[in-house]
Amino acid sequence: MNENELTALRDENKKLKSELAEVNAVTNQYLQNVAHQLTAPLGAIKWSIEGLRDERVPLSRKNNLLRSIYSQATILVHLIKNFALMSNLEADYELGQFREKPEPIDVMKLAINLANDFQPQGLEAGLKVIVDSDSFHKIFANQRLWIEKNLVAQAMSNILENAVKYADLKSTINVSVRADSKIVGIMIDSKGIPISDQEKAHIFERRFRGTAARQKVAAGTGIGLYLASRVMQFHGGSVAVETQGRLSRFILIFPRDRLK
Amino acid sequence: MHTILFVDDEPVSTEALRLLLEAKGFDCVSLTDMSAAMDFLRQWEVSVLVSDIMMPSGDAFPEIDSSETGLHFMLMVREQFPEVRVICLSVIGDQTKILKLKRQGALYLRKGETTLDTAARLIESKATGNTNY
Repeated sequence: MNENELTALRDENKKLKSELAEVNAVTNQYLQNVAHQLTAPLGAIKWSIEGLRDERVPLSRKNNLLRSIYSQATILVHLIKNFALMSNLEADYELGQFREKPEPIDVMKLAINLANDFQPQGLEAGLKVIVDSDSFHKIFANQRLWIEKNLVAQAMSNILENAVKYADLKSTINVSVRADSKIVGIMIDSKGIPISDQEKAHIFERRFRGTAARQKVAAGTGIGLYLASRVMQFHGGSVAVETQGRLSRFILIFPRDRLK
Repeated sequence: MHTILFVDDEPVSTEALRLLLEAKGFDCVSLTDMSAAMDFLRQWEVSVLVSDIMMPSGDAFPEIDSSETGLHFMLMVREQFPEVRVICLSVIGDQTKILKLKRQGALYLRKGETTLDTAARLIESKATGNTNY
């Protein structure tokens, strides 16, 4: 090996070391972020329970604490489901072994249940989550959507959770459905932090979080939309995002033939 | 009456603490970002500031990264409002950040680890100057 080759190898080694250090730093920061997200709701639940047991806290205020416990528990369940789902979906995707077992689902009922789950969190910011039942009746009538219920529920939850987190105070989040000859789209409309065109291009990437999103809510896993998009891919569909200023619309798009 | 200012982007995490301190006769204010908190400090007399680390910096400080807003905020409060006693209440476990804060003279409490009663007593003692709790 001559001197030049040796120098090139040393440089390459140096470069790889610095790349590894960078990856480690990003992973550490990510883990810290995840730990933050798991610990924060647990801490709030613990203190709320202590508050409920404390006789000095007036009875009239204790209802607030119960509501907080419920909303924090919902956040935790949702977060943990996302992590479990991510490792399962990744493994299935890598091995190409995803076996779909679709069931006929009443999507309006699913949307209403999910909207109700997020109401307590929304209430803290004066938000309303409304399901446009007329649009669901019109599209579905007596038909059902054939989907993997738990996966789609998680995809829809992830989008609703973002809407609740990033919406303007006292605004309304609207869930509705539209269909044409090729697709069925479940739309989640909200008004809140704007998403730039540049961010739109990366929004479904794993661990991506927009600048404004990070400024409004410091902690986040950056996996919610990535998972939603992966879930929809497994259904032969996709997630689309349309924005206009502070308005954003996320659409879960299913192939029309799932409506039977 | 002593005013305790809480700055946390998730007010729900300090709700129980605020209710308990209010029951003890303190006036508690909850704000969700650094800019709003600086505005409040400029206008009102605050005895104790209880701040998170990871939170939005708000419109006035767009250059600050939200992962360490609290560190910048508490340093700024030390400089501009030295009479305000500072408590950091966070879930962040990064030792370098904690050490930095302690060097700035802030008391550090970890959410979920300190009991509600102890946290309330610590804040109370900082507000009243009575360390005999």
